[in-house]
Amino acid sequence: MQDRVQSSVGCFAAALDYDAELMLRVKEGDDASFGLLLEKHRTSVVNFLYRMVQNQAVAEELAQEVFLRVYRSRSSYEPTAKFTTWLFRIATHLALNALRDGKNEKLQERLDDDSSDLPTRQVADQRQTVEQHLVYQARLDEVRKAVATLPDKQRAAVLMHKYEEMEYSQIARVLSCSESAVKSLLFRAYETLRARLAHMA
Amino acid sequence: MFGVPENLKNAVHEDSAILVEYSARKLNAAETARVDEHLKACPDCRGIAEGQRAVWEAMDGWEAAPVSPDFDRRLYQRIEKEVSWLERLMRPFRPLFVRHGLPIAATACLLLVAGVLLQRPSDAPVSGGKPEISAEQAESALQEMEMLREFSRMTPAADSTQPRM
Repeated sequence: MQDRVQSSVGCFAAALDYDAELMLRVKEGDDASFGLLLEKHRTSVVNFLYRMVQNQAVAEELAQEVFLRVYRSRSSYEPTAKFTTWLFRIATHLALNALRDGKNEKLQERLDDDSSDLPTRQVADQRQTVEQHLVYQARLDEVRKAVATLPDKQRAAVLMHKYEEMEYSQIARVLSCSESAVKSLLFRAYETLRARLAHMA
Repeated sequence: MFGVPENLKNAVHEDSAILVEYSARKLNAAETARVDEHLKACPDCRGIAEGQRAVWEAMDGWEAAPVSPDFDRRLYQRIEKEVSWLERLMRPFRPLFVRHGLPIAATACLLLVAGVLLQRPSDAPVSGGKPEISAEQAESALQEMEMLREFSRMTPAADSTQPRM
């Protein structure tokens, strides 16, 4: 199977990354490979979108749209870049559109009120005292609010750099800008966060 | 190198991108040691690096929620709605085409050609069948026979040497 894929699209494409190979198999009608891609990237895509829009339901809805677009594009797929670059480009595009459309307005209201629907994984160690837990939650809330106030592109760049551990070059391709622009975006974003969260240090 | 931060341009300072990577602990050992040396002597850069490291560590605690257990089911439902009936019909046979596409295509072509050849009408008359004669042809033949009979009556001597019609 691998030999056939390589011969069909050339050594460059197949050698690019394993995800691209899987996607080429999806292109040939192998739905099981789509399942493997979903399994591998589902969590990172949902988490990225969650941190972008800060609403779990909206994040999952957008993630569904991301994978749906990947599936729809299977017949025209060409591995010209890393698969994750393409995947996160779709995710970022959808997240930025959602933010522009105000899909997460409800969440913003909730952010101002309380954080009662926050993910359960944010609950820290069970051995923490109630006071420690409250302090921990308050700090997380500060972080979430600080990230939410970043301009959209800066936010996307920070989240890809911090949580997805992407290289500057990959972030640049996702955001369709130069590497030096990404460095500038990141430094400004981290400086904004530093200023907002200085009291936490 | 990207450049020094705006507020630090009057002195020799560390590059802002390097400081970001340093705070994220993404530099290699040699570069980390070099930046460490610079930070010892530069309170401005040290302030930035310490602040950014604090931000980085604060962000570490921000975990996302687990993905809903029915995420995949919902996605496949949406995909299923978009798949055409033809694709659905062909799905069980798709592995055959993917793995043995060429032999199957060759066999299909061979069968098609054979079928066309068998169906093709032959130019030769069907053996064992009786040739169809029109009424005009029969009438003409009878007239010719009548003429020959008349002719043989008129020439009795020639009759013994000619084969009987």
